[in-house]
Amino acid sequence: MSELLQNLIDGLGRGSIYALLALGVAVVFGIMHLLNFAHGELITIPGYVTFWAFNNGWNWWSVIPLIVVVSILSSLLIERIAFSRVRGSKDFTMLLTSFGVHFIVSAGFLLYVSASVKPIPRPDWFAKTVAVGGLRIEIFDLVVIAVTIVVLAGTTWLLQRTMFGLALRAAADDFDTARLMGVNSNSVIRGAFALSGFLAGIAAVFWIMREGQVTPTAGINPMLQGVLAALIGGLGSLRGAVLGGFVLGLAEVLLRSWLPLGIQNLTTGFVFVMIALLFIFRPGGLLSVPQVERV
Amino acid sequence: MLEVSGLTTKYGAISALRDADLTIREGEVVGLIGPNGAGKTTLLGSIAGLIPVDSGKITFSGADITSLAPEKILRAGLALVPEHRRIFSDMTVEENLKIGGVTRNASERATLLEEMADLFPVLRDKWETAAGYMSGGEAQQLAIARALMSKPKLIMMDEPSLGLAPILVDLVFDLIDTLRTQGRTILVVEQNATRMLRAADRAYVLRSGEVVASGTGSELLERSDLFDTFVGR
Amino acid sequence: MFPNTKRDIVFPIIGSAVLFVILLGGGLIYQTIIGNGSAERLITTMLINAIIVIGIQIYIGNTGILSFGHIGFGAIAGYAFAVYAISPDEKLKRIPNAPFGLTETQVSPIFAIMIAVGVALIFAFIVGIGLARSGAQSGAVAATVITLAVLFVTHEVAKSWPELTGGNRGGVSFAIGASLGSRWPILLVLFAALVVARLYGQSRSGRLAIAAREDNLAARAMGVNPLVQQMVALLISVTVVAVGSSLRVWQIGSILPDRFFFDYTMLTLVMLIVGGRNSVTGAVLGVAVMTSARELARRLGQNGFEVFGIGLDEPPLDWIFRENLNSVVLGVAMVGFMIWRPTGILEDWEFDQWLYRKFGRGDEAEPERMDELEDIPDVRFTASDISVSFGGFQALSDAGITAASGEVVGIIGPNGAGKTTFVNVITGMVEATDGHFSIGDRPLEGKASFELARSGLVRTFQNLRLFGALTVRENVETASLVAREHRSDRTVRDVDSLISEAGLWEHRHRRARELDYGNSRRLELARAAAMAPSFMLLDEPTSGMSDTESVTMIEQVRHMAATVGAGVIVIDHDLGFITGISDRIYVFDQGRVIAEGTPGEVQANKAVQAAYLGSLAED
Repeated sequence: MSELLQNLIDGLGRGSIYALLALGVAVVFGIMHLLNFAHGELITIPGYVTFWAFNNGWNWWSVIPLIVVVSILSSLLIERIAFSRVRGSKDFTMLLTSFGVHFIVSAGFLLYVSASVKPIPRPDWFAKTVAVGGLRIEIFDLVVIAVTIVVLAGTTWLLQRTMFGLALRAAADDFDTARLMGVNSNSVIRGAFALSGFLAGIAAVFWIMREGQVTPTAGINPMLQGVLAALIGGLGSLRGAVLGGFVLGLAEVLLRSWLPLGIQNLTTGFVFVMIALLFIFRPGGLLSVPQVERV
Repeated sequence: MLEVSGLTTKYGAISALRDADLTIREGEVVGLIGPNGAGKTTLLGSIAGLIPVDSGKITFSGADITSLAPEKILRAGLALVPEHRRIFSDMTVEENLKIGGVTRNASERATLLEEMADLFPVLRDKWETAAGYMSGGEAQQLAIARALMSKPKLIMMDEPSLGLAPILVDLVFDLIDTLRTQGRTILVVEQNATRMLRAADRAYVLRSGEVVASGTGSELLERSDLFDTFVGR
Repeated sequence: MFPNTKRDIVFPIIGSAVLFVILLGGGLIYQTIIGNGSAERLITTMLINAIIVIGIQIYIGNTGILSFGHIGFGAIAGYAFAVYAISPDEKLKRIPNAPFGLTETQVSPIFAIMIAVGVALIFAFIVGIGLARSGAQSGAVAATVITLAVLFVTHEVAKSWPELTGGNRGGVSFAIGASLGSRWPILLVLFAALVVARLYGQSRSGRLAIAAREDNLAARAMGVNPLVQQMVALLISVTVVAVGSSLRVWQIGSILPDRFFFDYTMLTLVMLIVGGRNSVTGAVLGVAVMTSARELARRLGQNGFEVFGIGLDEPPLDWIFRENLNSVVLGVAMVGFMIWRPTGILEDWEFDQWLYRKFGRGDEAEPERMDELEDIPDVRFTASDISVSFGGFQALSDAGITAASGEVVGIIGPNGAGKTTFVNVITGMVEATDGHFSIGDRPLEGKASFELARSGLVRTFQNLRLFGALTVRENVETASLVAREHRSDRTVRDVDSLISEAGLWEHRHRRARELDYGNSRRLELARAAAMAPSFMLLDEPTSGMSDTESVTMIEQVRHMAATVGAGVIVIDHDLGFITGISDRIYVFDQGRVIAEGTPGEVQANKAVQAAYLGSLAED
């Protein structure tokens, strides 16, 4: 029982980060129909900036806002340089563009920084645990969950109560009609990328803390988790993305504890297979409604 | 107020427009009728900036708005109530209206929201309901109210009575009448030609992408060959 | 299988040979100039990459489905090859505890390749079923995700099953015994890959896949089952990729999970995209171009490289030209082409088809005018009690029509009356909540679109759905390919005769998307007629036409129908057209049939007039 609870918290801790990543992916997809394979770079880039910062005497209190700002700026920059030029293209084209961007960034860091792993010191409270009713719970998990709840609440407020959020939702629902209402297409797209960057930035803070290092290919895993989680929930559904993130986190942890020892390493593989199966039987994701074909 | 001249639009495979001309003066209710596939929706879409124009000119209050982005045309004072209404079904009635007023400042918006609630009582009842749950008639009212939120100088409506039961069709035309008494300028595309001609000051008949007849509402109504102009005999 | 031997077999083989010689020749020249071992390795790698890229092209090019998974299949093949081909002595060092007793097994390299192909194909088949179930289509996200899963799962398994694969650190490295010293196997396979890719593209299955790539819905309306063709393309492409991957492993002499993962996927995809994903010639060109570009970048990044006396490793240029520049070049190439030329350098231009057009085609005489068919089999189309409700909305209630084989039946009605819904029901695109329809005594309700087309109900689309990248002739040929297989009990008309009949003879080699509007409509008509239908369903064929053009359509439709002995059911809003062409007319309003009769009867009908013009509130 206690192990189950422990796993639950662990899973929620991971799932929180995945939820943030997934939400970032879903926001961009909802507006532009673009599955952003470069989303993980919003963790890689801040990662290297963090390494530089620590080498120049910064500490975690100052680094955290730095990470978020860098993530937002990177997101906007990538939109400006690459995605704005393929707006309205076929999904194929935009997908490959994001793939290309991912590659340029990771190859760029490989080229201009180094292939080697750059270590990043963890905060002192990172490894601490706290005893709650017979369980040993990692403070890190609690912090992650708490922060994620706050961020999700804030994002919900943004989307539900501000005009910007309204415009975003309208554009995701029906881009053309939103423009008919006066919503500026450039503004809403950039706003979506900024929001996506902000969410990725928060996720980046925790990801970097947990990994304790950065490499040129650091972005692949987070991107994958974000994309997969968003897919599980049904692309375009923001609620689904968050749900997908938590499902993914829990599935990872629970699978690892249930699978017989020999195959535990294949947990990620199992998750993939499950997702592929999900896609076969419910191509629209968990929260989807079957689409009618337009003639 | 609105001047369309020589408009030609090729829009995929759906009705092209051939050299269409149209004029609307301030305060008028103008109808655009014709058989389906005639190009009426294409014409509205071209004016509103949704459909790229091949040749011709569209001027609004003296300014050239041909091929401007839809959001700019809305800010110039032209609002479109699209065919099939296209309300944001996951957003509430209030949110739909708010988005309609996205170009206004907050206090103006608040005033306008009140006005719309007064003008369309049924919306006030469903204020917090998700728009996707509304009936056809309610949705139509919402769509029109939403367009009014931008304080447009000219409102264009694309087939407002489409899919509505007769009582609701009455409602729609009453609405057009009310708006007219408020001094608004309205361009309406309608399938229900006879009712449109009764309600309009002037009207144009569009067939196969061309304007084949025009005149005042009563003039066109009196024509014995109205059906023929529709079918092209 | 191959409609035209010269165009579809002879010239592709000749063209493949020429491409092969050019690629190999270019490589050998480079090797000779540079004259060291690294140049030789570069060319060998290029040739192997060419095999794999061609394999990927067979799938992506012909189906339009973006697959990230082919390198995953390559990984499966590569590992299977390695495990079966290595000597037991070597295996004892690396993977002593391999499952299934594989540590003791060894087979000849050729046999190992065959096993590798077999294993890869099994997995490909399973994935193919998954793709089909998820509704994979050109451009669909689901397909991309599933193939991405293939890539990641194979990578994960390779990393995490060290007993079989040697895991991540050591990998499996080996000398097989018969090392790949000479290039002959590679050259043979490369030539074979070229020929297979081209022959497949020209074959019936390839053509049908390409049609589905261009417009999935229209292909189904022409009796094509895209899922079958996509599976065929997948299996053939995975075979080629599997062989190429085995050769790659053989050449390198070892295999690691990361060798068949994201980086290699990126490399092969970029090569394909740059050259032109819809063309085998493009795939080859892309391989050559990207190999050269990367090699150039690599050399520029080396120390001491000089161009015109300027050392490129001096500041500030050394900031750009560094080692590993070739990786960035890949990403930039990908993004650059997506922005400026997504279809690649060659788009879908094929070298052998150009040769054929120049030298093989010769003059063609326009065919004689066809006579109308006599002895048309007398079948009736009957639909009755068709009802459809969407959520709460009743789109159709008890609608029904009949049509006889020599007849033209018109369907009219105001917007929202349910006409298009009706046609969608009888062509399998919408499911009716109630009702039946049949040709003769064959019940047809519940059948898929492609089955209905094969049963003789062929439709055209209001929004004009041609296979845009295909020529006029190829469009009609697609339908004819299906008809010859599934409509053999009817008279299937010759493709060129139909094209001539439609007045498109001078445009027969032009791409469908370049045609003007009137010709596009006529092409749609000819394509439908090529299916040897029992009934042609025309959905607003005069939509967008002027009045004069509509009048000419009347004669065109009548004549085309008579040429193939088909009855006609036509929806349109142009009453002039409908009354001119129809023997009988049905009038729909608010989901029901409110009137039926001859054109004269219907036009005089007050209820019909009211439906069109709208009634006043008092009525």
